[in-house]
Amino acid sequence: MVKVGFYQGCCFQGQDAHMFETMKEMFKRIDVDVVLLEETTCCGGNTIDEENRKLSYAINARNIALAEREGLDMLVSCNTCYMVIAKAKRALDTDKKLREEINLLLKEEGLEYKGTSRIYHLLDFFRDVVGYEKIRNAVKRPLKGWKVAAYYGCHVLYPKEIAVDNSDNPSSLQEILKALGAEVIDDYEGNDACCGYHSFFTDKSMTLKKLNRILGGVKKVGADIVATPCPLCFKSFDIYQTNMETPPHVPSSFLPEIMAYAFGIDKEKSGLAHHLIKVEKE
Amino acid sequence: METAILQVFRYDPEKDQAPYYKEYEVPVEGTLLNALLYIKDNLDSTLTFRAFCRSEVCGSCSVKVNGKTKLACKTPMKELVETWKGKPLRIEPLNHMKVIKDLVVDIDKPIEKMKTLIPWLVPDPRVVPTDPMHESIIYPEEMEAYKDQIHCMLCFSCYSACEAVADNDRYRGPFAFSKAYRFQVDRRDIETAKEKRIRYAISGGLWSCVQCQKCIYVCPKGVKPAEDIQNLRGQAVKKGFTDKPGARKLKHFVDWIYATGQINRLYLPEEVYGNKEAREKLTKAYTEMGVEVWEVPKPTKGLMKFRDIYLEILSKEDKALDLDFSHVRKIDRMVSEIFKADICTIVDRTHEEGRSSKGLISKLKGLLGGK
Repeated sequence: MVKVGFYQGCCFQGQDAHMFETMKEMFKRIDVDVVLLEETTCCGGNTIDEENRKLSYAINARNIALAEREGLDMLVSCNTCYMVIAKAKRALDTDKKLREEINLLLKEEGLEYKGTSRIYHLLDFFRDVVGYEKIRNAVKRPLKGWKVAAYYGCHVLYPKEIAVDNSDNPSSLQEILKALGAEVIDDYEGNDACCGYHSFFTDKSMTLKKLNRILGGVKKVGADIVATPCPLCFKSFDIYQTNMETPPHVPSSFLPEIMAYAFGIDKEKSGLAHHLIKVEKE
Repeated sequence: METAILQVFRYDPEKDQAPYYKEYEVPVEGTLLNALLYIKDNLDSTLTFRAFCRSEVCGSCSVKVNGKTKLACKTPMKELVETWKGKPLRIEPLNHMKVIKDLVVDIDKPIEKMKTLIPWLVPDPRVVPTDPMHESIIYPEEMEAYKDQIHCMLCFSCYSACEAVADNDRYRGPFAFSKAYRFQVDRRDIETAKEKRIRYAISGGLWSCVQCQKCIYVCPKGVKPAEDIQNLRGQAVKKGFTDKPGARKLKHFVDWIYATGQINRLYLPEEVYGNKEAREKLTKAYTEMGVEVWEVPKPTKGLMKFRDIYLEILSKEDKALDLDFSHVRKIDRMVSEIFKADICTIVDRTHEEGRSSKGLISKLKGLLGGK
């Protein structure tokens, strides 16, 4: 049993707490004990950087220090949280002065950023810690006949310093989907376009254009569903899609949900049954 | 000798009705630019591309390889073959610019867009001597603020890869914002010019950037336009340009994260777009699913210490917004009403009770089959 600290961010708490329960249940089937890092706060969503970059580094030094206190590596699912935290870690590991300054503040809470915990995103955690073979063996209900479009999202591939896969030609998501028994489609228009999530509250028209580009591409290649490891990309696809003038009605899945389903957890409990754009495929 | 196939975009608007691709077999050695020069010298002298310095200085040889922007003289052929696992390499001109011939594009449009952001020094006579015989001194520590941005060599890699340019023709382009930011942090530049740049940046799409980070990824010189754009947004808000959705989003993040450690997606549409129905709709949707709605995030243990760190940094550092304490108190009152105690007591209690309220847990247990 591998034990890892899970960073929840805003996507796995409050009314979205069920997404964490699904995730925990899914991870149990591949022998991973996911421990919630309870005292962590929002990563700042790459927005606090507009207020002050050092504040973003400090918030995330604290978040990482909470994992280090438990002696655990940190697992992050949200692409943006992953990028923001990984960027902070890079800054703290390379800038001694910054680290010392922030540690002085953390000391009050009895915390210290040491740099001992590794930050994983779902994709490299599945590839490097769990292994595709283990995922394949946990499958109880192979996704036979499911044409799944693979969508990474930006913040696991760019910038290069924090990328978890080859930024130009990544393969981990396809490998995971293949291990679930799905037919994977990765060559479609918009496969590398931004999902538009972050511009919904800065320039909404941009979000809708992005969705049109990606979901239009997914529809054109005849995929049944688009799967992404990022809960924000998923929210953009499932929720913001309904804001489009003529929604293409492309169903989407957050990767752990479709994995849970393939591991034998039913549609209701995996969360697949609760999407705004219905997942019809059985 | 190991070889690779390049499928090169060919188009001569004076002769060809439509673009086409021509295949060339090239040695896998040196850089992509070496391969293009190999074609020109040995296989097809009609192939047209730009390349001058061959050493990552002039920025003229940017092209796309299988859709990804690369500076040809900086990209080893071996790396391309490994990345694409032996697949043919499709070489195309950059995006968002008119093709003049083959791989050569017309860069006038992004140059004109850049000029609208005043990417030059407007000297402040109080700092810069008007007499040309007197030196205008810049100290090394001052240059820290723009030491990366000055390396931009106008290769247009970021312009080609930019997600905002792709869907907003008015958007000035990542490099243009970096060029502008470089002067925003230059002590010698006059305040009125800084104010103007912000105005022009806003009308040039400052808030349309989607923060995909591709500009940072493709920049061959280590410039970080996406981060410069964040810095410019911060400056815009600080200068009082707060009537944009993006500025209100920033305020939401700054206040709510301080107050509760989290943002509040239920209130985001209301605070950014004045859309009250969104909260009602979301609440209804969650209730129908049997999920308990959290009006406010439950404050976590350590929140008070977290607030100290937050305040300590904001009190010392240059920032876009001051914390709005009346907003914070309003949030505190909401938290107190919902959890029936003051914020300090709740923070202590949270630790004893665990993260979820009983109602939510029982509902989830129902959802997960009692596990």
